[in-house]
Amino acid sequence: MTWELLAVFVGSSIRLAVPLLLAGIGELVSERAGVLNMSLEGMMLTGAFAAAVGAWATGDPLIGLVIGVLAVVPVAALQAFLSVTLRANQIVTGIGINILMLGATTLAYREIFGSRSREQIPGLDKWAPPLLGNIPVFGEAVFRQVWLLYAGIVLIVLTAVVMRTTSLGITIHAAGVEPKAVDKSGLSVARIRWLVVLFTGFMAALAGAFLSIGDIHTFTEGMTRGAGYLAIAAVIFGKWKILGTTFACLLFGAATAMQFQLPALGVAVPNALLIMMPYLLALLAVAGLVGRQTAPAALAEPYRRS
Amino acid sequence: MSAPSAPLLSVQGMTKRFGSLLALSEVSLDIAPGEIHCILGENGAGKSTLCNLIFGVHQPDAGAMRFRGAPYQPTAPADALASGISMVHQHFSLVHDMTVVDNVLLGQTRGVLDRRGCANRLDQLARQYGLPLEPFAKIEDLSVGERQRVEIVKCLMREPHLFVLDEPTAVLLPDEIAALLEVCRRVAERGCGVVLVTHKLAEIKKAADRVTVLRGGRVVAASSSPAAEIDALVRAMIHRDADAPATPFDPAPGGETAAGPSALRSAATRARGQTDVLQVDGLTVRDVHGVTRLDNFTLTLTGGEIIGIAGVEGNGQSELAAVLSGMIAPTSGSFYVKDLDLTRAGPKAVTDAGMGVVPEDRHAVGCIAGMTVAENMFVSRLGQFARWGFLRRGAVNIAALALMKHFDVRAAGPEAAFSSLSGGNQQKAVLARELNLQNLTVLLAAQPTRGLDVGAVAAVYGHIRAASERGVGVILISSELDELLSVAHRVIVLYRGRIMGTCPADPAQRQRIGAMMAGHAA
Amino acid sequence: MTLQTTTARTTPGPAAPRLSTLVRRYAAILIPVAAVLAAGLIGLCLVGLMGVPIRAALDAFIGGAVGSPYAIAASINRSVVFALVGIGFVLANRANLTNVGGEGQIAVGGIAATAVALYGGVAHLPLGLPIVLPMLAAVAAGAMWGALAGIFKVKAGTNEVISTLLLSFIAIWLVYWSVQSEALLRRPRTTSATLPESLEIPESTQLPLLTGDFSFPLHIGLPIAVMIAVVAAIVLEKTIFGTGLRAVGLNPVAATRAGISYGRTVIAALALAGALGGLAGAFMIQGEQYLLKDGFSSGYGFDGLVAGLLARGSVGGVIAASLLFGFLRSGGINMEMVAAVPTALVMVIQGLIVIMLAAASFWLDRRPP
Repeated sequence: MTWELLAVFVGSSIRLAVPLLLAGIGELVSERAGVLNMSLEGMMLTGAFAAAVGAWATGDPLIGLVIGVLAVVPVAALQAFLSVTLRANQIVTGIGINILMLGATTLAYREIFGSRSREQIPGLDKWAPPLLGNIPVFGEAVFRQVWLLYAGIVLIVLTAVVMRTTSLGITIHAAGVEPKAVDKSGLSVARIRWLVVLFTGFMAALAGAFLSIGDIHTFTEGMTRGAGYLAIAAVIFGKWKILGTTFACLLFGAATAMQFQLPALGVAVPNALLIMMPYLLALLAVAGLVGRQTAPAALAEPYRRS
Repeated sequence: MSAPSAPLLSVQGMTKRFGSLLALSEVSLDIAPGEIHCILGENGAGKSTLCNLIFGVHQPDAGAMRFRGAPYQPTAPADALASGISMVHQHFSLVHDMTVVDNVLLGQTRGVLDRRGCANRLDQLARQYGLPLEPFAKIEDLSVGERQRVEIVKCLMREPHLFVLDEPTAVLLPDEIAALLEVCRRVAERGCGVVLVTHKLAEIKKAADRVTVLRGGRVVAASSSPAAEIDALVRAMIHRDADAPATPFDPAPGGETAAGPSALRSAATRARGQTDVLQVDGLTVRDVHGVTRLDNFTLTLTGGEIIGIAGVEGNGQSELAAVLSGMIAPTSGSFYVKDLDLTRAGPKAVTDAGMGVVPEDRHAVGCIAGMTVAENMFVSRLGQFARWGFLRRGAVNIAALALMKHFDVRAAGPEAAFSSLSGGNQQKAVLARELNLQNLTVLLAAQPTRGLDVGAVAAVYGHIRAASERGVGVILISSELDELLSVAHRVIVLYRGRIMGTCPADPAQRQRIGAMMAGHAA
Repeated sequence: MTLQTTTARTTPGPAAPRLSTLVRRYAAILIPVAAVLAAGLIGLCLVGLMGVPIRAALDAFIGGAVGSPYAIAASINRSVVFALVGIGFVLANRANLTNVGGEGQIAVGGIAATAVALYGGVAHLPLGLPIVLPMLAAVAAGAMWGALAGIFKVKAGTNEVISTLLLSFIAIWLVYWSVQSEALLRRPRTTSATLPESLEIPESTQLPLLTGDFSFPLHIGLPIAVMIAVVAAIVLEKTIFGTGLRAVGLNPVAATRAGISYGRTVIAALALAGALGGLAGAFMIQGEQYLLKDGFSSGYGFDGLVAGLLARGSVGGVIAASLLFGFLRSGGINMEMVAAVPTALVMVIQGLIVIMLAAASFWLDRRPP
């Protein structure tokens, strides 16, 4: 394997990992507070669609990004309302929202664009950090990525700092382990859970926008193709820790990148097997082949004061 | 101390219903600043409900409260906290994988955490009130007594005007209880009102300035010199006439307990003629963190004998019960029921071998709330009512009805939802199921009377004694020493997982057993 | 001040009257019906918003659903597939397991059925074996697929929603793989046949029609599914196994203490759900499509899942919901062809139904305090 190929592989792995990472960190914060969002897939798809339409309509990808985020807010609010306020089954409502948004985005796409898929859309620019981008061979391939990645990294670091050192952070942690403690301290479990679900929506919107206007510069129906579920699996694999989840996302990204890498090396592996790889890895991860995972104790349990 | 003219908290005519259960009815009382006011009552009397109403967890159906001269109607704990009322609950609400400092800071601060500052404040409080704590220890590494200290510190940090403690001594050793009462005294001396909810008379005698007695959701007595009037208070609590024992454990005036020395002798005579039914050999249990929870536990149980396992909760009793009921495998050691090795055999084998188990946590392990009474009573033996894999529901119901009559389980019928039964009847049903095993040789009952009213408690004792007389060996795990002294033949004391000693279940041994419970060797 | 005592009354106060019990008895049927109607109405509004004349859309819908004997038969055939997946869901759900991998179980069932039908040497066997053996292979494949999720749950505590979902994706790509490679199930490429799909299965392995008339292609899947539904209902309500499922679903710890094997029950429940999904896949291949191609299972798993959710634990409810969705799908396809309303509208309606039902369960499952 030549250095060029390795560089391309690493760069692709990072690129393919970005949507998983953005969505995954958002979901991690929500699950730490006790809310499981199966609708991550639907939120990402909504963000992808809205960002694409926004960029196409205004010609400005940045406005597209903003529209993408704004469009996901009601979806996340719906999930929060169902999960937290109505205390409905979080898994069923998540799947319901996924079905709804898949249908809605497909419908809206057909209405706006007809059956033409692959309409070219103005996309977000790439960027490379000053010194790193100039490394020979590796610099361009690895570090020149859509700027959303770097914004995402900043967001993730901020999230880690908030979780560790602020009152908000320990409240989120407590809400997922012992919500009773949060309630008896005078804080509102419902409020903190609403907050984290909205945060998940925000991150999912960024992840979806990356897919449509960051990476491919187009929208196709159902383009998330299970990325939301992979992100949830990544959180489990990462044992609900930010570093672990990041590693898991990179791993899944690399598995997807293999799809293009191995044929370039002349290794003849059936395409289907390669496409399957991230799901297979995720399955092995959640099946405990990398150690048993312990979820936050109150995950997916609606809180009732008693 | 006599009540001053301006009460700190004034409760008037409080009434609270939960569905068809009237938990509190027309309850009125006053708390004065600087006093320790005890709320006395049995299980189910309404004490916890009253506390929850004061703390804003629930809202009353009728009645009003005044706090520091102004109307007080909390809709959530946040309101109570804001008004200056803090509460230590019976079941702690601490985040087990966070540190003491983080738990204390939860809800107390905004923005970036000042952990160092909090640790300093904790040290200050520790010196002021006598509550030593390790600020950066994780809750899961602390003992029960230490965790309670964290809960208390959380309250005191807010500098409350009223400090409520719900059954705080249930989980403490005798030394720790004394320390806690001292903390309460110091808090009261600073002008704070302290409400201490308890059913333990020793605490009332030692600490209370005034007492209010609840029974059946109503105030039935009050006293401002409780130490002198203790007998009358207790009688008001359980409403028995003057000649009957005040509690199920106390001897009748001038008499001895049902399992007093004479009963002890005859039981021992009976036991000597029987075979060994349970042999436990060096059971050791280490938990996931590698901490030894049960250490080399050995005993031999003869048919007809009742062995009590004494000790404050959390000293290995739960692990012992879990191993003997087949729910977990021990790290080492073994146990046999009539020479059959059941160490790793699982719950079904344990039941088939003739060991009935009344688990400590009825709701989690003992019953399936969503099923009917009949289903719960036969859930471990459904195969006996099967024909070609089909369940003969009619036969199950008939059998259940018979059992219900025999054990006085009150319910609408065998098909009633199990969750509709009162706690006492649920426990009687579980006991019925276990005592109804066809080849019953051993009964393991863990905290069987916890949370039950006096009538149900007496019924449970009756069935345990009857089983013992039939030749069944009984292991009775209980943190109520009085219960063990009244029912058991001999007592084994557990402390930190180890057997501290054994002695006959004689009230005269109370001091010695208490010392062993606190970790002093026999 | 000395001791004060009061004489206590012994009669408790009257309990508040509860009309909620009456509402609740009928709510179990009313609320799902209301959810379906509401979602349908919203669907109609969307149709209007798209500028399609509602009359035309409705005509196309009804025509596609029940407009001809062919349409009716096709709808019922579809309903049978949904019903099997839905019954599987309900069975597993009794043990509090949520199987969302229906589509994957259909997929592996389809692969197995096609493989056995084409290359298992069954085409000339007597006694209806050419039909039965591929079905059995599909059932086995589906059962294994479901059991995998069960094993993960028992051994590692893996949430079965995630594992069945991931298994579903893997299965879909397995179908893709098997029809891409001539070494697997792809038909040999010739100048005229280049599509990635399998050969057509022999006629002897195709499901016979009830009337023998191709203009009304209702196949024997229907009576088989009805029998399975009856058996499933009996198993759930009247057998020891069904009671064991319920015990594990309500309280796994107490069920273990009562001697019911948690591990065996979980694996059996998921294997059963998978088996029914596999059978559904066999019905699709042997009853309708007669060959295996990429994406053949698309959407069927979710429809069955939603039917299972709508049914709220009752097999009768699954039948009703499956019929509804079967006709819904047929109508939707025709609506797309004739009135240019994308079938995605049907997905929107389904999503709304699921959400409204889940929200309403707040009313239905509220236990008395």
